[in-house]
Amino acid sequence: MKTRLLLLAALIPVVSGQNWTPPKTAWGDPDLQGMWPGNMGVPMQRPENLGTRTTLTDAEFAQREAQAKRQAQADAESTAASDSTPGIGPPSYWVERGTPTRQTSLIVDPPNGRLPPLTSEEQKLRKEARGGKGFPGEWKGEAASYDDLNIYYRCITRGLLGSIIPVVYNNGNEILQAPGMVIIRNEMIHETRVIPLDGRPHLDSSIREYMGDSRGHWEGNTLVIETTNFTDLDAIGSNGAGYPGDPGHHSRDLRLIERLTRVDANTLNYEATIDDPKTWTKPWTLLIALKRDEHYQLLEYACHEGNIAMGDILSGARADEQKSAK
Amino acid sequence: MRIKLATLAASAGLLLGVAPLWAHHAFQAEFDQTKPIKLTGKVTDMEWINPHAWIHIDVTNPDGTVTNWMIECGSPNIMLRRGFTKRSLEVGTTLTIQGYLAKNGTNRANGSSVTFQDGKRLFVGGSNPDIPQDQR
Repeated sequence: MKTRLLLLAALIPVVSGQNWTPPKTAWGDPDLQGMWPGNMGVPMQRPENLGTRTTLTDAEFAQREAQAKRQAQADAESTAASDSTPGIGPPSYWVERGTPTRQTSLIVDPPNGRLPPLTSEEQKLRKEARGGKGFPGEWKGEAASYDDLNIYYRCITRGLLGSIIPVVYNNGNEILQAPGMVIIRNEMIHETRVIPLDGRPHLDSSIREYMGDSRGHWEGNTLVIETTNFTDLDAIGSNGAGYPGDPGHHSRDLRLIERLTRVDANTLNYEATIDDPKTWTKPWTLLIALKRDEHYQLLEYACHEGNIAMGDILSGARADEQKSAK
Repeated sequence: MRIKLATLAASAGLLLGVAPLWAHHAFQAEFDQTKPIKLTGKVTDMEWINPHAWIHIDVTNPDGTVTNWMIECGSPNIMLRRGFTKRSLEVGTTLTIQGYLAKNGTNRANGSSVTFQDGKRLFVGGSNPDIPQDQR
């Protein structure tokens, strides 16, 4: 299996800067340190009409840029129309929309940029989980219990991949290094991964973690991180990307290979290959091009301190029940 | 302008997918889309808490009684990046909120539109691209 993954990883194109050499740390490792906030705006899956095309045409990109520009102008209007009907979201100018890029989808393998089919076992599992209610996910009109909502709603975690998939706010990622280890911090929900590079074995397979158990090593200038020991209680992009068709539930056998490569002074390619044969019929890979921003401040996102929304959701569902009982 | 934004969002959806803006809790799970509300009142408190900040306002009812309402805002992190500070909203400031009532019948609503008395939008300034990055 490992060979298969390495072969697959080798097939993934490095977007740019193959000849660029990153700086080294004082102890000689490639230096990936800094603030690398994510950038909302690339869908997880590629629209089917774009086929195997990984980048937008000039015309499509111009359209995307024009949309972003119009939105920024609307966001910057200082006065609200008094007769406007409020939308259901927050004021649009409170969110981080990111900067348009030409990438057509985060998924770069399979070549059509779309998730491979689920295994038949996984299809059955998703249908039959929790007595037919399915795995807890995005709110589906029911909140009989807190566990009808996913663990991001509950402020527990977004899981490893969910923590780095860009959304409309709190996309901060910071990388720090020390001899023999790499530390990755994700702003939402205040995750910190301490990844040893010393070749120590993974934890015993009986120990399971939402963020998994990571081990790293260098392949040239690329940091390769292999993570195992996941639970099956979270979901990839569980309400994280906010796009229809999030990958969703995965099994405890998920084996994640991340490859972090600085391809130029201000770009860090984050590639992740998701290998979970119990869930997907073949491995798939996503690419997130992270841009350096030393002005970005990573702020604590203490999600549990005032998660009033969870209480409102549960009591709102009780109020709905009483109404329909009358 | 709302129509314009909605159109924008729809056309952006062709390429980007349509993302729910809160991206944390589904609006419909907490609030009632059939119950829009417009409130004008004075700020009594600003809870600077995660995952959403909450503005408290005292609203004077037609019969002269006063009701305290809680208005859901964005994440404190993004509000800070958008130029909001603890000093941005003094107690006693009059605001007009447009949003939707909480489903649970309490005096809570989301803040889809938060404006000062003169119609200026609350801390829109932070999204001004002219503000240097290090001052946001």
